[in-house]
Amino acid sequence: MAESTPAPDFPVTKRRLRFFGLTSDELVQLFFRGNAMVSVLVLALITLFLFKEGLAFFGQNQRNLEVYRRAGLDYVDQLRQQEQDHTALNRYLLEVRMKAVADLAGPQGLSVEAVNQRLEAFDQYSIRFDDAIAPLRGLVSELSETASAIKTKFYINEDKRTEQRQLRAAGRADEAARVAVEEVDFAREIEPILASREVYLEINRGLSRELQEIAVLARAVPGVPAERMERFAGWVVQYVAGFPAIEQRLATWDHREPVSLLRSFSAFIFGRQWLTASFWQDWYGVLPLFVGSLMVSLIALSLAVPLGVGAAIYVNQIASPAEQRIIKPCIEFIAAFPSVVLGFFGIAVLGEFLRSVSGAAWLDWVPGFPLAERLNALTAGCLLGLIAVPTIFTLAEDALQNVPRSFKEASFALGATRLQTIVRVIIPTALSGIISAVLLGLGRVIGETMVVLLCAGNRIEIPDFTAGLAAFFQPVHSMTGIIAQEMGEVVRGEIHYRALFVVGIVLFFLSLTINFTAQKVLRRYRQHPI
Amino acid sequence: MIEIGNLDFHYGPSQALHDITLNIAEREVTAFIGPSGCGKSTLLRCLNRMNDLIDGARISRGAIRIRGVDIHQRDVEVMELRKRVGMVFQKSNPFPKSIYENVVYGLRLQGVRDKTRLDEAVETSLRGAALWDEVKDRLHASGLSLSGGQQQRLCIARTIAIEPEVILMDEPCSALDPIATAKVEELIHQLKLRYTIVIVTHNMQQAARCSDRTAFFYLGKLIEFAPTREIFMTPSNPQTEAYVSGRFG
Repeated sequence: MAESTPAPDFPVTKRRLRFFGLTSDELVQLFFRGNAMVSVLVLALITLFLFKEGLAFFGQNQRNLEVYRRAGLDYVDQLRQQEQDHTALNRYLLEVRMKAVADLAGPQGLSVEAVNQRLEAFDQYSIRFDDAIAPLRGLVSELSETASAIKTKFYINEDKRTEQRQLRAAGRADEAARVAVEEVDFAREIEPILASREVYLEINRGLSRELQEIAVLARAVPGVPAERMERFAGWVVQYVAGFPAIEQRLATWDHREPVSLLRSFSAFIFGRQWLTASFWQDWYGVLPLFVGSLMVSLIALSLAVPLGVGAAIYVNQIASPAEQRIIKPCIEFIAAFPSVVLGFFGIAVLGEFLRSVSGAAWLDWVPGFPLAERLNALTAGCLLGLIAVPTIFTLAEDALQNVPRSFKEASFALGATRLQTIVRVIIPTALSGIISAVLLGLGRVIGETMVVLLCAGNRIEIPDFTAGLAAFFQPVHSMTGIIAQEMGEVVRGEIHYRALFVVGIVLFFLSLTINFTAQKVLRRYRQHPI
Repeated sequence: MIEIGNLDFHYGPSQALHDITLNIAEREVTAFIGPSGCGKSTLLRCLNRMNDLIDGARISRGAIRIRGVDIHQRDVEVMELRKRVGMVFQKSNPFPKSIYENVVYGLRLQGVRDKTRLDEAVETSLRGAALWDEVKDRLHASGLSLSGGQQQRLCIARTIAIEPEVILMDEPCSALDPIATAKVEELIHQLKLRYTIVIVTHNMQQAARCSDRTAFFYLGKLIEFAPTREIFMTPSNPQTEAYVSGRFG
């Protein structure tokens, strides 16, 4: 409408105050839209940052593994493996001796001298077995030094090269030219290692001859149970039989063999070692951390699910209103504890308590009892369970609350008892809600950091599952814990820094999957109950 | 068969029923009518003690006897009572289970496991509720997949599966369309041959159509109880007359 038109008879137009051409309604709208956009933007930025920092790890790890091979560390490690297998056998002999001592000194009541005398032949045998490996051990230590030196030289050169580049970039060309960068020729440097092959074969021949003799002698060693020595002899023979394969592998070993990106990836995902700042070689394998997180969460859930769901059923279906008024806020109050306080409680009280309980004589039958460590997966799992209880309780209670009252009435009207109604109607109807509550509790537990950092014992190792259930009483480390612990002391942009980011990405995907599944389960339930 | 004598009933401090005395005859349909809040549903829910579920609900005087037994006695097992006195609710409420499982729910509670017995019960009950022909090919479909009228008949089938003596119906047709209502009313006529039925209804035509006796309640009191024809044709109380002729309510 042009402004020149005369005042209309139908006055529905109104002049509004405008800022920058926007009415106040539009401004308010814009403000809300802005808030919504900011959260989307922040999420996108965080994800982007996580991936940008993390994904470069795989290239760096590829380089890391490449140097490991080029400098001959890989070669030496194969020899070392052979040596360590021998050590493992030696450890078995020690075990045999310990059991024999316990048998002799215990039931038979012999004095220390008498025991030692009885076992003299065994000890000599044991020493002979240990001595057999000495030449190989010497070779390994010699080669280790050589390989280590090559690697160090390479990294010093890399540092110099970086310095040179930085100087050039800063426009100080003359200074840059003065930095002496010396190309490391791996093929030449590694020669001494490869040249040792003859020596190695010689040593191996001697070792295999010696061990075969030792194996034959095993049956005749006095003072220890024959069947144990029989088993030992079998293992020794097996060990020796493995030699040709090792020799074969070393003969075809080539330091120039490329390391693929896939190898770098699988070394992270399936790597059994997380070893940083090592003199020899750094390994970034997420498996021990992942297993640790999983074990702790498993313990936590096996506590929190019965507690949380059970309490929800009680409060929602059975408790009197007065009880409800007490129980509900109490459980929800647990969530108000800062987790660091719970962690402190875990160290000071729970860990000590569990250990003293595990020492009780009537609990001897439990595998792993008495506990060797005060801080272990069980301590952390118990506390995490406590943290997950409010989440599971609240969501499960909601799910039960959503079951229509008419189902309950119908069930009662058909002559059901309260328990029958709960088991046959209420729980099945609320089941997917309960499952999603459990999943969200799991998400809460996997992401929890402080408690596991304080109470899990922080040993970066895959627990020994051959010990059965006792594995759950061993110290573990977790994915969240390692990030919190190590992020403060890494150099930005270094491989270690990036490795922590990749651990973060793994956590991110884990939580994403759990939450997504929980949503799916819940939605499915809303569409078609049971 | 059911004798209600001088019954007073309270929800907490407020009295919902005043001195109700009423006898319900066997194998007849007795209708409770009256405006909202007159206590007819409360009385109905006293008959199988569903009011036990409500906090503060109590009988302060009088008694209800079914076949001579005071059902509020201490040694009455309320689950057993409810097996004998079944109930159909205003809003159809099949469980979110299959049609089959809905019907056998009561039997399973009693520990019946025998497959042939359950199968038989499903067929007889669904036939009894005039639903068999409509669902016999999809017994394992969800009970919630049925239409409103079918769901209500499923609830009736579920109730008769445990072979009660009395069936209480709390406005069973109020959420149904006229065709579904007609089917349920037809069903009530058939059920009368085997069961004693007490029906609460807002719909006076329905009471007139399907009941043998009618009780009119107002403000928690029983105003008039007589054969249905009398209540509608020659009511003795002016309030009843005003209500059935549609002047209030």
